[in-house]
Amino acid sequence: MTGNYRKWPMILFLGIMTAPIILMYFYLFVDTVTNSPPGSLIPNEVTGEHWRFLWETIPGRPSIWLATWNTFLFASITTLIVLVISSAAGYSLSRLNMPARSFFLGGIMVLHAFPTVTLLIAIFLILQMVGLYNTLSGVIMVKASLELPFGIWIMKGFYDTVPWEIEMAGIQDGATRFQVWTKLVLPNVKPAIMALGIFSFLAGWSEFILPLVLAPGNNVQVLSVYLAALIADDTNFDMALFKSVGVFYVIPVIILFVFFQNRLMNIYSGGNKG
Amino acid sequence: MVNTVTELTSDRAAGAPTGRDTGPKLTRLQQIGNSKYLGLYLLVPAGIFVLMFFLIPVILTGVFGFTNMSTSTGITGGSYVVSRSSMQALEDRHDLGEIADQINQIVYTIDEAGLLAAGQSGVAANTLRELSSKFSGNNFEGRREIERAIKNLDARPANTRAIKALAKYFERSVLNTRFDSKEEFLAAIDGFGVSLTPEQQDALIDVSYTGWVFTADNFKRMISLPDTKKTLLNTLFYVFTTLILFNVGFALVLAISTHYMDSGPSGFFRSIWLLPRITPPVLYVLMWKWLAWDTGFISAILGPFGVEPKNWLLDSPANAWTFIILINGMVGASMGMLIFSSAIKAIPTSLFYASEVDGATRGQQIRHIILPQLRFPILFITSYQTLSLMTSFEYILLATEGGPGGATEVWALSTYFKALNNYAGALEYGYGAALALVLVVVGVVLSVAYLKLFDFKTLTAPPKIE
Repeated sequence: MTGNYRKWPMILFLGIMTAPIILMYFYLFVDTVTNSPPGSLIPNEVTGEHWRFLWETIPGRPSIWLATWNTFLFASITTLIVLVISSAAGYSLSRLNMPARSFFLGGIMVLHAFPTVTLLIAIFLILQMVGLYNTLSGVIMVKASLELPFGIWIMKGFYDTVPWEIEMAGIQDGATRFQVWTKLVLPNVKPAIMALGIFSFLAGWSEFILPLVLAPGNNVQVLSVYLAALIADDTNFDMALFKSVGVFYVIPVIILFVFFQNRLMNIYSGGNKG
Repeated sequence: MVNTVTELTSDRAAGAPTGRDTGPKLTRLQQIGNSKYLGLYLLVPAGIFVLMFFLIPVILTGVFGFTNMSTSTGITGGSYVVSRSSMQALEDRHDLGEIADQINQIVYTIDEAGLLAAGQSGVAANTLRELSSKFSGNNFEGRREIERAIKNLDARPANTRAIKALAKYFERSVLNTRFDSKEEFLAAIDGFGVSLTPEQQDALIDVSYTGWVFTADNFKRMISLPDTKKTLLNTLFYVFTTLILFNVGFALVLAISTHYMDSGPSGFFRSIWLLPRITPPVLYVLMWKWLAWDTGFISAILGPFGVEPKNWLLDSPANAWTFIILINGMVGASMGMLIFSSAIKAIPTSLFYASEVDGATRGQQIRHIILPQLRFPILFITSYQTLSLMTSFEYILLATEGGPGGATEVWALSTYFKALNNYAGALEYGYGAALALVLVVVGVVLSVAYLKLFDFKTLTAPPKIE
């Protein structure tokens, strides 16, 4: 449609704007396996020494594998909770005629945009009072709750696209609404559940503030807190090590993104990050 | 039956969930009406989580905002303690210096507890018996008096050191003793020989209670501190600059320019610009630090030109702000890009062809075809991102920690520092909650305004995956 216009000025312009991102990612990977002389950007040797954190625990830090396991538990259990609860609540809001439906919908919208930071202090104190401070289960419940409004909203949207005829047919055949939901509607929104699941998993994997505030201890540390603590430690400055831990941390994210990019693109446009 | 089904479907599509119980043919459909309890059951788990981690925290933030809760008061109840500083406060705040002096005193009382303790540690029984019979219940104003009394006993201890040691058992003071309840505390003061009027009791309790109390001081302090104003200005500057330059401005540039590209390059650029969003914040900011640190990219590039290597991220407020806005903006631009792109995609291609035939330049196309279509998405992104920028502090915390010298400290970050993390280790939950409460109020007002302003149901029309 743009036959009259030259394309290269646009490409050039965007290329320049995009260069910092490409540069940062390029050096992120290059620096983890090479050494460069001081003050230079061109590597002069290939090395595996920056990855030794995989088999040697860094002094004063938990083992990287413990942190990875914690991160995996945190992200996957959060995802599970979000999926189960929001597929139920989303169905209820999308299809079932119940009292105060519009009130719930409005409430979900307000909560969806609700600033986490305002809840953090109270949540911190609540977890301390009930003894869930510095435990994975505490921070998992908090993260799942904060993801819920978004998950419910998204699931409701998916249910809205399922044709009513499917359900009507089920009812005609004598199924209850509950059976219709589990046997007929849920299989129809499988791709949606998968997309939300991947999104939640990535959100959990990347989460930083909640574990930092609610579960900073060595035994329950997740990778984001581990990496941030490593960077913040002034006595042990080693950019190549930071980057290697960072690459180790980001690999699952990149894999999921590459495989599910199109699905995620759609969900990110409703995302809630600054 | 088929008719009713269609009727119902179109009813639903029109968004009128309750408009179906009309007409006589609906006996079969009434079964659907019974689903209202199922709906509530399905909502219960979500409700529990939302109650526990949204509603209760919001209410508690409101409550805590009106307390002086901090690490020194603890988060559960406190106890009652007379200390040097609380007695000073009694004199300063309540003008009860005399009472403070009385309570501050150390007195010596010959009582059962003291006699028992002395007996257990091997003081001769006849000494104690004589002490008890002569002075039981007596108070001595000072150490000298009780020592003199002991010295005058017939069965006095052998030497001065033993006399001093014996006197020690009868030393009574309320200083630094913890009492769990108000009654216990007042009884102890009373037993100590200081009698108080109810007003004086209240004053004493006020200064010696170590737990948190309700107060409106947080808000007075917030208004009076010059820091508050600075933080507020920082927040406004940060939100609007990032919003205008990146979240809306650059997002528009990205959406429009990729629109004019072939699918190859446009897909490439869009994926690249999603990278900052999917990269975990800790790693994303680390990459920026590598760019800015004194051994990093900028310093290495500028080195040959005679520029001293330095930490560009923290060397001056202006540079710090530049990086903060870039870091946040590059993440924020992608959301606008996705929404604007899909809005542009919805414009009929024939419009573009027709305008080209008429000789429209690209600028004219953008101004007269694309931008009018984007008015609503722009409004949406602006309002949505205002809220999320206002309350986000993750990237600033990771990049500059509000530095240099508090120059990049925004409201949300200062809330975090006050209540959850600071170098001094004295966390002021109450003051932090008061700061957060301001955000809660602004957040709720803005969200409700957006709900009114937009028809949210159609606007955030759920992403139609598949």
